[in-house]
Amino acid sequence: MKRSTRELTKKIIYQILALLLIAFLFLPIYQMLVTALRPADLPWKSPAPLFPEKITLQNFKSAFDLVPRLPRYLLNSFIYGAGVSIVSLLVAIPAGYAIARFHFRGRKPIMIFVIYANMFAPIMLLVPIYVIMKKFGLVNTYLSVILAGSIFTIPLSTWLVTSYMQTIPKAIEEAALIDGCSEFSVIHRIIIPMISPAIVAVLIYAFITGWSQQFILALTLIKSDELMPITQGLYQFFSRSSVRWNELMAAILMSTLIPVALFLVVQKYIVRGLVSGSIKE
Amino acid sequence: MKRKAVPYILLIPLIVAFALFLVYPLYKVVETSFYKASFLNPFYRQFVGLENYKWLFTFKLFDPKLSYFLSAFKRSLLWVAGSVGIKVALGLLGALLLNSKYLIGKKVYRTLVIVPWAIPWAMAAMMWAWTLNSEFGILNSILMHLHLIKAPVTFLARPSSAFITTFVVDAWVGLPFMIIMILSGLQSIPENLYEAATIDGAGDLTKFFKITLPMIKPVLLTVTLLSTVWTFNSFDIIWILTRGGPIRATETLPIAIYNISFLMVRFGGIGKASAMTIAQVIFVSVIAIFYIRTLEKGVEA
Repeated sequence: MKRSTRELTKKIIYQILALLLIAFLFLPIYQMLVTALRPADLPWKSPAPLFPEKITLQNFKSAFDLVPRLPRYLLNSFIYGAGVSIVSLLVAIPAGYAIARFHFRGRKPIMIFVIYANMFAPIMLLVPIYVIMKKFGLVNTYLSVILAGSIFTIPLSTWLVTSYMQTIPKAIEEAALIDGCSEFSVIHRIIIPMISPAIVAVLIYAFITGWSQQFILALTLIKSDELMPITQGLYQFFSRSSVRWNELMAAILMSTLIPVALFLVVQKYIVRGLVSGSIKE
Repeated sequence: MKRKAVPYILLIPLIVAFALFLVYPLYKVVETSFYKASFLNPFYRQFVGLENYKWLFTFKLFDPKLSYFLSAFKRSLLWVAGSVGIKVALGLLGALLLNSKYLIGKKVYRTLVIVPWAIPWAMAAMMWAWTLNSEFGILNSILMHLHLIKAPVTFLARPSSAFITTFVVDAWVGLPFMIIMILSGLQSIPENLYEAATIDGAGDLTKFFKITLPMIKPVLLTVTLLSTVWTFNSFDIIWILTRGGPIRATETLPIAIYNISFLMVRFGGIGKASAMTIAQVIFVSVIAIFYIRTLEKGVEA
C-alpha cells in the first residue's frame, strides 16, 4: 500500500517535470503558432493573451503579398541545403568506406582530423573563405555558400557513414571481391544499397545544418537579393518602424514544417552516428 | 589496381575539400594575423610582425581595465559557462526523466524533445525575440499570469539580463542534442545492474551515484566538451537577438571578430580580427585535445 502511493507520487512528479521541460522547449514554438494564426488586424494586447482569441489562415497568404520573393528565398534555401547535403555525401561515402574497411597508413591521423574539423565554425574562417571565393570568382553564387557550408557538415557526415558501415558485416563485400568485382563497383553495387539508412541520415542532417548555418556564410558571401536564403529573406518582415510579426511567424512556420518532419524521421541514425564516436580499433 | 592505393583514392575528395576550405583558410588566418590589412581593400597589406597580437592586449574600448579582446574573451567564457551549465544540467535531468520507468508516454516526449533541433538557429532566434518582447511577448504574459512578476521585464534591453537571456536561448537550441545524447548513454546501461542494486537494498540516490553517473561519465564528458566548443562558436543567436549589445554586454569573441573584421574597420581590420581568431582556434583546439583523448579511451554506445 505504502509502496504503491510512493510510486504514484513519483509518477505524478515525473509527469509534471516532463511537461515543464516540454513547455520550455515549446515556448517559442507555441508563440510562433499563436502569432501565425492570429489575425494581423487584431490589435496587440499587453499582457498578451495566452490562448488565441481568433484564428485565421490569412497570414500565410499575406506573407507572400508582403514579401513577393518569399518562394524564391525558400527555393534558394532548398538549393543551399540540397547542395550541401550532396557535396557532403559525395565526400563522406568514399571517405567513410575507406576509414571503416581499410587498414592503411595514416588512418588514425585522418580520423582525428575529421573529429577536429568538426570543431570549426564559419566565423573562424569567414575572411579567408571570402578571399578564396573571390579568387575563384565565386562570390555571390550558390556554389560559394554550398562549398563553404559543406566543410562544416563533412566531418559528421563522414563519421555517420563510417560508424554505420562498421555495424554491417564484411562478408558480402568480400564475396563480391572474390568474384572479381572492383573496389569501386563494390561501393556502387553493394555498399551504397546497404548503407542507405546512413545515406538518408546524412542527406537530412547535412540539409538541415547547411540550411541552419548558411546565415553567416550568406551574410558575407551573397550580395544580391535573388540569391538570399530564407533566413536573410525573413528580414524583409522587419522595417524601420515595426516588425510584421504575424506574417513573419507564418513564414517561419511554412519554412520549418517539412525539415522538422524529415528530421524526426531520421534522428535515430543521427544519434547512432554521434554516439558511436569511438576511435578505438 | 593495387589494393593498397584504394583507400587513398577514396579519401581524395575529403582531403581536397579539407585542404582547400579548412587548412588553407586556416593558414591564411595565421598569415594575415602578421599583417595590417583591411577587408575593404583586400589587395593592400603591410607586414607588422606581432603588432596585432600586442593589440589584443593593449587596445581598450570603453572598459579602462581590460583590453577589448580580453573583455570579449572573458565574456565568452562566462557566456559559455552559463549556456553549457544549463545544457548539461537540464540535459541530464531531461534524459533521466525520459529514461525513467515512471514516466508515461516516453515515446511522445522523446519525439517532441527533438523538434527544436531542426529549427534553423536564425529562425529560432527570431521566434525567441518575439517571445521575449517586453510588451506583447508571451513569456512576460505567462510570468504575469503566474504572479511571478508584477511589471513586464525588458529581457534584451538591459546589459545583465540580455547576457543571461541570450545564453538561455542558446541553451534552448542545444538542449535537444544534449538530452538525446545522454539518453542514449543511459539506455546502454544494463538493467541487471539496477536489479542487483535493488536486491542489495540500494535507494534511488545511491543507484544514481554508484551506477548511473559512473556508467554515463564518458558520454557526459564527450557531449560537454563538444557542446563547449559549439557554444563558444555560437554567433547567429546573439547576432539576431542583440547584435552584441546593449553596451557590448553580449559581445562574445565571435561577435567581436565579426565586428572588427567587417564593421569597426577603423579600429581593427582583418589583421587584428585574424589574431583574435587565432586565440579562438587555440581555445577550441585545447578542448579538442581533451575531446579526442576521451574518444580514444572509448565511448561505446
